Parts: sequence; C-alpha cells; structure tokens
Amino acid sequence: MDRAQPFDRGLEGPVIVAGARLAAARAGFVASLALVPSVFVYGTVFGGLAVQAGLRPLEVWGMSLLVFAGASQFVAVPMLAAGASPLAIVLTTYVINMRHYLMAATLAPAFCGFPRRWLALVAHWINDESFAIAVARRNPPDPWFYLGSAAAVGGSFLGGVPVGTQLGGLVAEPTRWGLDFAFPAVFLALVAVQLRRRADWLVALASGALAIAVALAVPGNWHIVVAGVIVSGAAAVVLEPEAE
Amino acid sequence: MRKDVWLVIAGMALVTYLTRAPLLLALARRPLPPRLRLWLRLIPLAVLPALALPLILVDHGRLVASPAHPPLWGAVVVFALAAWRVNLFVTVAVAVATVAVLRALG
Repeated sequence: MDRAQPFDRGLEGPVIVAGARLAAARAGFVASLALVPSVFVYGTVFGGLAVQAGLRPLEVWGMSLLVFAGASQFVAVPMLAAGASPLAIVLTTYVINMRHYLMAATLAPAFCGFPRRWLALVAHWINDESFAIAVARRNPPDPWFYLGSAAAVGGSFLGGVPVGTQLGGLVAEPTRWGLDFAFPAVFLALVAVQLRRRADWLVALASGALAIAVALAVPGNWHIVVAGVIVSGAAAVVLEPEAE
Repeated sequence: MRKDVWLVIAGMALVTYLTRAPLLLALARRPLPPRLRLWLRLIPLAVLPALALPLILVDHGRLVASPAHPPLWGAVVVFALAAWRVNLFVTVAVAVATVAVLRALG
C-alpha cells in the first residue's frame, strides 16, 4: 500500500492544477475558433480603413494594441481624419466602451484567486466576444477558459490589423459576404442557449426592445449600456435570488 | 491631425482601461450578496440582445423589419439552429451564408 502514492503530493498537486488550467484555456481557445475568421477580417478591415483615412501603420497597430476595442476604434478613425478635437474623440471612446463596466463586474468573481497585478493585466483583454462565449458556458466563467478565449480573439484581431494596413483594405466589402452579420449571429446564438426560464426570455426581449428604442432615439452607442443596466437591474430587483 | 494622433491614442487607451480594470480589481476579492449575483447573472441576458438586435433591426437610425431585410432571416436561422443545439461555428457560418446569398439575390 505504501507504493500506492509514490509521488510527493506537494509536487503532484501543482502539476494537476497546471494541467487543468491548460485544459480549460485550450477549451476556451477552441470554443472561440468560430469567431476567428470574422474577428481577423474585422481587424483587416479596420487596418485598411485606418490607413486609407490617413493614419500611419504604426499608429494603427499602436491604437489596436493599446485600446483593443474595435467598435470605438472604428468610430475614432473617421473623427481623427475629420480633425475632431482630441477631447471629443476620447469622450466618445469612453461612452462606447462603458459596456466594459458590466463585463468586468460579471467576470470579477471568476478571477478571485488571482494576484492583483495579474488582474491589472487581464483587464486589458476584456472583450465582447470572449465575455459572451465564457459567460454563456458558465457564469461566473472559468477564468482560464476566459483567458484562452481572449487569446484567440485578441490574437486574430491583432493579427488582422497589420494585414489590413499592408493591404490597404482588400476586403473592402465585408457586407457583401455577410461577414458583418457574424457579430449579431454570435451574440444571438449565445443568448439563445441561455434562455431557460420564462424570466430569462422576458429579460432578453425587454432589453432588446429597449435597446432598439434607445438606438432609434439617441445617436451613438448608448443603447447597449442603457438597456443592459436598466433591464438587468430591474429584473434583479423584482426576481427572487432564491429562485436561482 | 498629425501631431495629436498619439495623444488621442493615449487618451483612448486610458479611458478604455478605466472601463475595464476598476470593477475587475474591486469585485474580485469579496463574496457577493445574492441579489448582486443575480444581477450579474442577468447582465449577459440583457447585454447580448441589446448588442445584437439593434445591429440586426436598426440601419442608419431607422427601424428595418421588412421580410426583404436579409439579417432578419439570418436571425431566424440562428435561433432555429441554436434550438437544435448545433455548434456555434456551424450556426454562425450558415447564418452568414444565408445573409450573403439573400443579399446576392436581392
């Protein structure tokens, strides 16, 4: 029986933990492969448009790496080209990216075991697609699954941008190939698999309807934050936590 | 424009980081009250349709809900395939192809 445990547990434990983390990260990476072509093309389109608008490739790469938030970058480039004030561009970026507050709050419990220095680094890689995929799988998600997904999404976006700046927008018409629809398709598919209770349907439909109403009434990207906060907040007040 | 580009990029990077880091750092350490946890579970259910539906149904500030609007059929395809538990890649690929074909025909 002494031979039943030939290894020092102090050595074996960390190896198993590291293996489980790697497996979760790989699962997150693989689960995100569906998005890689679209995100890559998204990056090339951004790179191409930004260069055509007059930015230098180095500036486009720098923006993509440092800001890493595609929607706000797409909005900022024509503003830069039109000579808008730096303050207006930065404020617009802030508003468009306010949705990250929701995602960070939702992801936080998943990363409770992580050192703060790591969290400060992980925060930069919060993105719509990884958030959606990881949270649809489990909420709060597996942190390593999330990181694997962020690697796939971040890698394909940051890989696509330089291709775009060099080609100058070869994929000039992503809408012709339906590629623009990949994003709402992913978001819808992910919400569809989460709809279990009647209350879930109510929350999703109410938020979608409110978002459309706000999008029609208010220019910009306010509708995501407004509908997301109001509808989920109201439902959290009305519904019983015990019913979970 | 030229001299301000890196200033703008730095400003964008700063405010974007400020939307990501504070809550991730602040909320990672303490156990959450049940009602807050319920709220966080409901956030993706509210945010995902709020992202998706305006992308599908609003075009240049106008509501487009006619049957001649290809993304509408793409959305139907997504829901049908998701209900059948088809995997994400196939679901998205079929939906994208549907939209592309309808646009080519229309």
